[in-house]
Amino acid sequence: MKHFFILLCLFAFASCKKEKITPPPVLEETIELKVFPVFGGSTLYLDSIYTGPNGERIKVTDIAFYLTKMQSNGLPLSEVAYFDYRNMGNALLSLTKKHTDFPSLSGVIGVDTSLNHDDPSAFPNESPLNIANAGPMHWGWNTGYIFISIEGKADTLVDGTDNLDVSFSYHIGTDAMLQPFSFPQINWVQTGEKKYAFHLNFELFTFFFNPLQPVNIATEPFTHSGAGSQALTQKIAENFKEALFPQ
Amino acid sequence: MMRIVWLSTFLLLLFACKKEKAEFRPTPLAIQIPSHFPEMPIPTDNPLTEEGVELGRYLFYDKRLSGNDEMSCASCHMAFASFTDTAKYSTGIDGIQGNRNAMALINLGWDAFFFWDGRATSLEAQILEPVPNPIEMHETWKNGLNQIKKDVTYRNRFYRAFGVEDFDSTHAAKAIAQFIRTMVSGESKFDVMYKIENNMALTSYEQSVQIDAEEWAGYDLFKSLNGADCFHCHNGPLMRVKKFSNNGLDANPTDVGRAAVTNNPNDIGKFKVPTLRNIALTAPYMHDGRFKTLDEVIEHYSSGIHPSPTIDPLIEFAGQGGVQLDAQEKYLLKKFLMTFTDLNFINNPKFQDPN
Repeated sequence: MKHFFILLCLFAFASCKKEKITPPPVLEETIELKVFPVFGGSTLYLDSIYTGPNGERIKVTDIAFYLTKMQSNGLPLSEVAYFDYRNMGNALLSLTKKHTDFPSLSGVIGVDTSLNHDDPSAFPNESPLNIANAGPMHWGWNTGYIFISIEGKADTLVDGTDNLDVSFSYHIGTDAMLQPFSFPQINWVQTGEKKYAFHLNFELFTFFFNPLQPVNIATEPFTHSGAGSQALTQKIAENFKEALFPQ
Repeated sequence: MMRIVWLSTFLLLLFACKKEKAEFRPTPLAIQIPSHFPEMPIPTDNPLTEEGVELGRYLFYDKRLSGNDEMSCASCHMAFASFTDTAKYSTGIDGIQGNRNAMALINLGWDAFFFWDGRATSLEAQILEPVPNPIEMHETWKNGLNQIKKDVTYRNRFYRAFGVEDFDSTHAAKAIAQFIRTMVSGESKFDVMYKIENNMALTSYEQSVQIDAEEWAGYDLFKSLNGADCFHCHNGPLMRVKKFSNNGLDANPTDVGRAAVTNNPNDIGKFKVPTLRNIALTAPYMHDGRFKTLDEVIEHYSSGIHPSPTIDPLIEFAGQGGVQLDAQEKYLLKKFLMTFTDLNFINNPKFQDPN
């Protein structure tokens, strides 16, 4: 009887033992910003040839730019975001943040003056401003970073040959060329569980053939934002801003 | 008396036979990074240790890793030439030559891709290639390391570095990678110029370095868009950018370069942009060693550019053959290029043959 009682107690004890349930990890919300280069509304692929309104053949080989001091109604989103189409695809920014905190977005196209002249080696390893990552986007401490870099080749001669005989490179920088941007309403798209995305287009057709101030690649193939090319630099910067818009 | 002799003999034999005991207690090693350099990214699975670096240095100079025991890494990466080969093409143990110039081993800890075509994406992966390559050291890692394993000192070094007795090529590659990451060059005249230009604090030694007007003029030319226009691809303290570029060597490149890795015809003729550090010591130049002197290199960018469909758009004066420098400008540019020479780097005793 005694044994029976002990067994009963043990059974009751074992059966009462709570099953230990590990709570599922709390999934934090992530938001992504992506940029989609397009030409006339269709996806632009680097190294592919596109034709302009007057038959100009254009091959874009690199698109890169910085956006800094991004925020929404005073709430900081990111100090710096870097887009490099060749090496990083469409990615601009990925953060663990709540999308509802950012109903709008504003910031600066380029590297804000407060960052532009710092030691490029002193930024954290993972920062796109660190010289090890910035590489060709950094000119020097004095001039700072290239804010916008668009490079490629074009066939601008009506000579019957299809040679892409003109190289172009538009490098926009220096503090005077910083431009504010603002998207008053962000339409966040849910892309997964607790994942939201905001997509921008960069329309190269608008960039090159802006009806108010088109870029003539044949006569305006280069600017490095130097003293002799302020007009072209200004035009490129403005066309870039106009060509970057939410989807 | 006899008892004492016997006892002494016994003790002597005991100590003579005592094995050297290796322990696995690796000592973390912090490299002295120049103040104007970015932090070096170290892979989490291969942290730097004193034991690992020491092992890597021995392996770097060890000829037993080659098929005929006559060639080591150092055979094609000679210290006096800033750890490259003075020959246009290096010759392997079977007398076969490759078709690319050996790259200099300078500040590779900051690089993200290796070889002229960037086919290796880590230093460790790069190091695994030359040993079994039939036109280089032509030996299997297994055979090479079996030779090494006969050496108890080496076995102990591997154990101290990685805590393994049965080591393999991955351990050897990690050790050599650690050694190469310590090979930092940042004590050239250019480094002083870079610091002065950017108002950085100079050490007392740096304050004593004399930089003449011609060297400053050459630097201006180097950076000038209407001058030599070099800085698009060679800038910052590392004096290179992370990219592949077709710098106008050939209208129809026979060596397709990066395209062989990516299978992308848009990469034909593109090669890794190398650092310019110690450039005066690393002749011959370009991926195929076609230029014997700095003068030939300067002439190429001045008047020898060949346009092609994949030429870098930043070679902005390709249409006129190059940047068209006059004799004085070429002289100044060369003077500036000489400021990259860092003799402390090539003579650093820590990088020399430990044997």
